[in-house]
Amino acid sequence: MIRQFLVWLQDQLGKGAGDTAQSWSQDLLGSLNFWGLIEGTHLLSLMLFAGTILFVDLRLLGFTLQRTPVSVVSRRILPLTLAGFGLMVVTGLALFYAKPLFYYHNIWFRAKLLFLALALINIVIFHLRAHRNQDAWDKMPRPPTATRVLAALSLLSWLLVITMGRFMAYSWFDCGKPIPHWVNVVQECQASEHGAVDAADIAAIGGKAP
Amino acid sequence: MTKLNLAPFVLGAALLSAAVLGVQSAQAHHAFAAEFDAKSPVLLRGKVNKVEWINPHAWVHLMAAGPDGQVREWMVEGGTPNTLLRSGIDRNTLKPGTEIIVRGYQSKDKACAPVCKANGRDVAFPDGRKVFMGSSGTGAPKDGADPNDK
Repeated sequence: MIRQFLVWLQDQLGKGAGDTAQSWSQDLLGSLNFWGLIEGTHLLSLMLFAGTILFVDLRLLGFTLQRTPVSVVSRRILPLTLAGFGLMVVTGLALFYAKPLFYYHNIWFRAKLLFLALALINIVIFHLRAHRNQDAWDKMPRPPTATRVLAALSLLSWLLVITMGRFMAYSWFDCGKPIPHWVNVVQECQASEHGAVDAADIAAIGGKAP
Repeated sequence: MTKLNLAPFVLGAALLSAAVLGVQSAQAHHAFAAEFDAKSPVLLRGKVNKVEWINPHAWVHLMAAGPDGQVREWMVEGGTPNTLLRSGIDRNTLKPGTEIIVRGYQSKDKACAPVCKANGRDVAFPDGRKVFMGSSGTGAPKDGADPNDK
């Protein structure tokens, strides 16, 4: 269902008539400058986002800016974080649009989405739990344990999101290559255009692909 | 009790990681050594099947004999379409059927599954013209052949 939509998105949407006609997605992926511009912007806005959220989280952990109330830190820094996040989402969606099926069958991308979901859930929990009684600990150099745990989880999950994103550049586990069975399952390689090849099967017939 | 002030450490760590990341991104999208073997040079002679003009790396597909003498499909990694255009390769110079000779380095896994994979250093055309494929700077071994090698 999702896959069918992505096939349409990648191969059909925006495609004109003629033998050499390309879809918009294929045009974007093959563009001379636009794709690189989007990727560069994605990474730069990621730095703005992660760099600023680092300071908010370290303040919540009680490691830095201890004499500044949390509310002041948030007021000054979070607008930058939000700007970075907005740009990151827009450029990220555009990068996904350029190669939807590749990312759909990519284990790093799937892990990235998982940690992204955890990070967002963490934000919701923070607002529901810690944020409610912020007046009580706003000026504390070291906020209460519950708040600090949420800040640590935030740091950890964003770090994992970024790390998984970085690994998407490597093709070690691409569908169609001899890869461990469980990776084939997680990536749903069987349904991909490259199929699923189990490393164990290849090893069993002497290490050479047919 | 004096409080431990972590700010200098955090700043130091941030600068250090920025330096490390900066060096990496100056090299390439991914490190040459992560996927290709500098000790496995390949010389591929054959006709172009198709070319994928895509970011961040274009892929040239051709049928060619590998180091074992067996003729298989190879896909050879080049730079971005933009890099290739600037070094003189485009859709018209690399049409399917064009006879080319590619020098490059095979993938570390040497799996040839689904097809053999290599990083392209340069490509020679029937008219004798030789063009670099944008692999310089990715960590591919420097043999002095590329004047743009830094």
